[in-house]
Amino acid sequence: MHHVMGVDGYYPLLYVIWLLPLLGAVACWAFGPQLKRTAGALGSATIGASFVATLLSWGAATQSAGGALGAHAHLFSWMPGWNFGLLLDPLSLLWVLVITGVGFLIHVYSIGYMYTDRAIARFFAYMNFFVFAMLTLVLSDNFVGLLVGWGLVGLASYFLIGFWFHKPSAVAAARKAFVINVVGDVAIMFAIFIMFSRIGSISFGDVFAHVDRLGSLLFLVCLCLFVGAAAKSAQIPLHTWLPDAMEGPTPVSALIHAATMVTAGVYLVARCWPLWNASPDAQMLVGTIGGLTALVGAILGISQWDIKRILAYSTMSQIGYMIMGVGAGAYAAGVAHFFTHAFFKALLFLGSGIIIHELGDEQDVRRMGGLMKKLPFAFWCMLVGVLAISGIPGFSGFFSKDAVIYGMLQHGHPWLYAVGILTAGITAYYMFRLFFVTFLGEYRGTADTSAPGAGHAGPGGRPAHAPGWLMAVPVGILAVFATIAGYVLIGGGASPWSRFFAQTFPPESLPRPVIGEGLTTVIALVVVLCGIGIAYLRYATKEALANAPTRLARESARMPAPLVHLFYFDDAIEWLFVRPAQLLGEIFGRFFDPRVIDGAVQETAVSSQWLGALVRSAQTGLLRAYVVIVVFGAACFIAYYALAGGVR
Amino acid sequence: MTQTLLPVALANYVGLSAVIFFIGVAGVMLRRNPLVMLMSIELMWNAANLLFLAFARAWMNDAGHIFAFLVITVAAAEAAIGLAIVVAVFRTARNVDVDEVALMKG
Repeated sequence: MHHVMGVDGYYPLLYVIWLLPLLGAVACWAFGPQLKRTAGALGSATIGASFVATLLSWGAATQSAGGALGAHAHLFSWMPGWNFGLLLDPLSLLWVLVITGVGFLIHVYSIGYMYTDRAIARFFAYMNFFVFAMLTLVLSDNFVGLLVGWGLVGLASYFLIGFWFHKPSAVAAARKAFVINVVGDVAIMFAIFIMFSRIGSISFGDVFAHVDRLGSLLFLVCLCLFVGAAAKSAQIPLHTWLPDAMEGPTPVSALIHAATMVTAGVYLVARCWPLWNASPDAQMLVGTIGGLTALVGAILGISQWDIKRILAYSTMSQIGYMIMGVGAGAYAAGVAHFFTHAFFKALLFLGSGIIIHELGDEQDVRRMGGLMKKLPFAFWCMLVGVLAISGIPGFSGFFSKDAVIYGMLQHGHPWLYAVGILTAGITAYYMFRLFFVTFLGEYRGTADTSAPGAGHAGPGGRPAHAPGWLMAVPVGILAVFATIAGYVLIGGGASPWSRFFAQTFPPESLPRPVIGEGLTTVIALVVVLCGIGIAYLRYATKEALANAPTRLARESARMPAPLVHLFYFDDAIEWLFVRPAQLLGEIFGRFFDPRVIDGAVQETAVSSQWLGALVRSAQTGLLRAYVVIVVFGAACFIAYYALAGGVR
Repeated sequence: MTQTLLPVALANYVGLSAVIFFIGVAGVMLRRNPLVMLMSIELMWNAANLLFLAFARAWMNDAGHIFAFLVITVAAAEAAIGLAIVVAVFRTARNVDVDEVALMKG
């Protein structure tokens, strides 16, 4: 017998949701030369259809019967305990909605963004493949299916980071992301080994029903799962691949490295809440790592000049919030921050994509400035995104971030609460720094006159111009959702959000903390306003704007060494893992392979040659000599039997 | 061993057979002409045949006769193949000294 999470049965719409993107990927891949730019329309259509199918499944996903919640479709059984199936319950429904919904908008945007790229069909094949892989991850009803999706999204991420494979930096970034992600994959594999050996099943339902059987290994399972989550979600110390991953096209950064894939770790922790709830040590670990990541990501965000790298560190920091939330037990709050973050971070990336696109692939904010007048649409959209991520009341980030921060206090982690508030202030600072430096003052770039590398800027080096509707409409829709998405959290325990997840996460009856929810909001808001104020004083006063080029040059020259070296995480990994691995390779290459492996082969050859020469000397070719040997041998036999009395 | 069809004692047959056999062995070991070597091998076959027949008569068992026929057949085949080889070697080497024909030297 096996437990099914979700109402057991056959719900065929799940196949449609799951397989349509795969169909699009195969079509774009196989018929790329024929489809050319229509590949974009096809790829977007499959994701859009998948989104509609998800909406149609809403009712089934939220139904419950006999204690089971959601819709389930059985795929196949392999061995006892190895049942594969698809599960759409409120948690995976939320993720599928974001993956296909935000994914659809980003696909449409990509049609415009990648319009001049010759490999546009390959791009959409990879993008659709990514969506399929991500759906495999969140729709699986078992750990092995989840791991398959986990590995496939890593592969899709590798393809898309290295999409412009003629750039050596893109190839290096893709490889780095893949290798670090594989560390996580292996960790999850070990967790599955332990769970299967103790519980005898890989399905979520069985494992969560028998957490007690894990006994003393529970913490180890949680640790392994979290290493996987940390690698995928860019948590310290496995985060170094995420900023490098910005080498990929900007829509990729928006979809994979902001909205969906990097939040897979949040999904894993939220999905496995029965494990974490049974292990307070693991919760402490996850919450602490999440809080540290939020803080470190925000601090590193201050020091960056590349617009996409600023957003990458802010992504890392915001995922730190989510991990902190789900790790400390505030599951609904952490997941809510995933929901709002998907909108405002995709908005920020796509908005910066418009800027990059219009400025002819310029990404350094020091060479931007004054874009408010040139790109008013990008200005307003980025403003919404910046307000949302900073947690300004009325915008989505305000609701979810406050929910996470307050959740820390509710679940008894005052330190994480303080870290959350401090990080909110730093976040507001570096996001407004980005915003002021990019949009205010005078234009400091060169794209107007010469349009360097005008791959996107059109023929004749056209100056910055308004985006086409293909790029504008998705960004506009995201701006709307980045504003209103947080409203589902209004109402506390009676909010639509709480009702949606009422049966998914454990009911909480928590003591009222000393500092109430209202006071928390006020404190956080004051800190955020302080952050904005400092950013204003440093970058947006009249004097600062007038001397912007010299001030920015001075700031980058005086950047503290730890920030320039990104807190030495890359160096530490280099010295702890890369160098020893290279040394090991050197030893094997210089000594073990030529001496031991090649030596064994050589010795075998030489010794068999020698043995052959020895045996060959007996082969004289003289017939009569053979006869003598035969007769002598026969004589020996006869003599032996005669003397030993063998003959009777 | 009361009944026997042998006119003389069995030991005589065995002794004669041994003599013929060793003449054959000596011929194969000492002569260098392949034809003579084949004839010496023939002597060894026939020494064996003589023993088969002698024991068949001595022990009143006809199996020995059957084996003698088998030996004659195999000897005929061997002679045919051996002579064919000798002819083939002679055609290429123009020589019938087995010591000179050492193609199989390793």
